[in-house]
Amino acid sequence: MAKLKLALYWAAACGGCDVAVLDINEKILDVANLADIVFWPIALDFKYHHVEAMPDKSIDVCLFNGAIRSSEQEHIAKMLRAKSKVLVSFGSCACFGGIPALANLTTRAEIMQRAYIEAPSNDNPNKTLPQTKVSVPEGELTLPELFDDVLTLAQVVPVEYFVPGCPPTVDLILKVVNALATNSLPPVGAIIASEKSLCDECDRKKEKKMISKIYRTHEIIPDAERCLLEQGLLCMGPATRGGCGALCVKVNIPCRGCFGPPPGVKDQGAKLISSIASIYETKDEKDIARMVDEVADPAGTFYRFGMSNSMLKRKRVQGK
Amino acid sequence: MKKVSIDPITRLEGHGKIEIFLNDAGDVANAYLQIPELRGFEKFCEGRPVEELPRIVPRICGV
Repeated sequence: MAKLKLALYWAAACGGCDVAVLDINEKILDVANLADIVFWPIALDFKYHHVEAMPDKSIDVCLFNGAIRSSEQEHIAKMLRAKSKVLVSFGSCACFGGIPALANLTTRAEIMQRAYIEAPSNDNPNKTLPQTKVSVPEGELTLPELFDDVLTLAQVVPVEYFVPGCPPTVDLILKVVNALATNSLPPVGAIIASEKSLCDECDRKKEKKMISKIYRTHEIIPDAERCLLEQGLLCMGPATRGGCGALCVKVNIPCRGCFGPPPGVKDQGAKLISSIASIYETKDEKDIARMVDEVADPAGTFYRFGMSNSMLKRKRVQGK
Repeated sequence: MKKVSIDPITRLEGHGKIEIFLNDAGDVANAYLQIPELRGFEKFCEGRPVEELPRIVPRICGV
């Protein structure tokens, strides 16, 4: 079998997904036997012009991580889509928007203002902001345009597969590598994780208790054997796809939903709100109001990784 | 002026490009490093509960 041509790219990302691929350790040699990596900025020195020169569909598989929030990221996403037979939305940012999509709870103008003008460590007396085009004595410099909205990869180009996780676990990555090696990829559109919610994989004791108070994670030390939701902590388990091995819950912290919604759920945050509301013990309106207030940051917690797919869409500026 | 672009810069975390302007003699007249990305952690971390930040800010850099 001829070696596959493999590309990896990062848009609005942190590098964690690229490092996760390297976390397969010595099995990276299996990848090297299986594929020629033709583009991977974290590890190899190929440039955009190398990708531009590739014929369409000459890349067998592209693992694309990071959300889309600039004109350059959109451009490269479209370029890699054209050059690739199979495009994989890799990691929570590409799949759901990820942490960068929390920017949908603010605006581009506020971000620029904070980062370039207000931040206490700045030395910017002329209040200079980055521009998409600027003239310098030698010629012209350009920068991409930052979008107001953070988008998922699938909101910009068609995608064949989704691998969720922040980052995807080594097990999942090896599943993908093995599927490529044995030419046994699942049907197009598949999300390569579990078909059940996290609760299914979590082996804490569930006693179907109702709760009368919501705790913030620093307010209690949870019992390591019992369901975290039943102890009053906000755990995204019921509204999150499994497949991660319940890593966070195993170290006694509640799930924050990085694997996205479980099968059949369109809006992860709405699903979680309904799951939590269904275990509120009280029917007294005052108590319910108190418990609602005990949720410190609803949008940022229920949509921690999924603002791009949220029905909330984004923060709206009044009048627009 | 002739311009040599290094885009993207590689083998580090993050996005960057370098534009090198050459004069008629072929020497470097000037070089510019540009960072074509901004995610806005400085702003979108505002309003998040402080005990959640240790789970948010490691996503600034996954390396």
